[in-house]
Amino acid sequence: MATRSVKVFRGLKGENDKWAAETRAFLKEKKVIMINMIGSPGCGKTSLLEAVAARTQGKLSFAVLEGDLETTRDAERMAAVQVKANQLLTGGGCHLEARLVHHGLKDLEPDGLDFVFVENVGNLVCPVQFDIGEAAKIGFLSVTEGEDKPLKYPFLFREAKVAILTKVDLLPHLDFDVEACVEFIKRINPKIGIFRLSSKTGEGMDNFMDWLFKHKK
Amino acid sequence: MDAVVEELGRLDPPPAKLEKVRVVVGVFRQIVPDYLTFAYETLSKGTPAEGSVLDVVQAPAKGKCGDCDWEGDLPIGSYACGGCASVNLEITGGTDLYLESLEVEDGNTQR
Repeated sequence: MATRSVKVFRGLKGENDKWAAETRAFLKEKKVIMINMIGSPGCGKTSLLEAVAARTQGKLSFAVLEGDLETTRDAERMAAVQVKANQLLTGGGCHLEARLVHHGLKDLEPDGLDFVFVENVGNLVCPVQFDIGEAAKIGFLSVTEGEDKPLKYPFLFREAKVAILTKVDLLPHLDFDVEACVEFIKRINPKIGIFRLSSKTGEGMDNFMDWLFKHKK
Repeated sequence: MDAVVEELGRLDPPPAKLEKVRVVVGVFRQIVPDYLTFAYETLSKGTPAEGSVLDVVQAPAKGKCGDCDWEGDLPIGSYACGGCASVNLEITGGTDLYLESLEVEDGNTQR
């Protein structure tokens, strides 16, 4: 009985990437920019969306896909500020996958919108590896999480186009070294854009809104 | 798993047994080899791949410097050029994810 090795060389990206490609094509047809927001639970993703909703000045339109294990609480927060949102529930999964996002996106009927923001499941790890068809990832880090997190979770900050440092209003109460954090982020990804802001006080929000206004089609 | 079973089904003549499956996984993929081999053991049960072993080969991170001629392996956690320490790097290796080969045992063809 002979043993032989058969070369195959077959890509393993699979089903997820097929759905991501379909989503990308759909977004291109509708001329909508989809942003994938990734960060730990409680880092301020939903709060940022509430702060953006208050500052669109009628010049920018968006809808949201909220990702969580359970509850519709985040989608309800969006509804409370008149933002159309669909809640995507994984029921236990630690990241959103392209198929679920695709169906949620189509159901949103995003025609005529500038942006769809996908608030991924709170998690600095898994969502990074699952392409959901987005135009860009934004990596979130709150100042309560420690300035060395970019080094400890480099894959997110490597992939993201933008990093947002949230809750800067808390800095006087913390030992967080902002300049070290910025340096760590740039060490992982020198091309990344960095915003420092507080959704609560509005500090830094103007800069982020300008970025959104500039990038809408 | 589907890819393995599909490729196995394509072999002509069909082998007697699948011994080993080699996959190449780049270090940027956040895939932990032990987790993958554990999952493979479970998922291969009841399929033609049952009993085979998964061999995970990690493809290293590689970079090419935009500022000097350096091209080479990147140590874990480093995104700086090994030549001039610039961070102006293009990642040229480490994002691989593919099924490289199947090691099969052919049947005894003597009649």
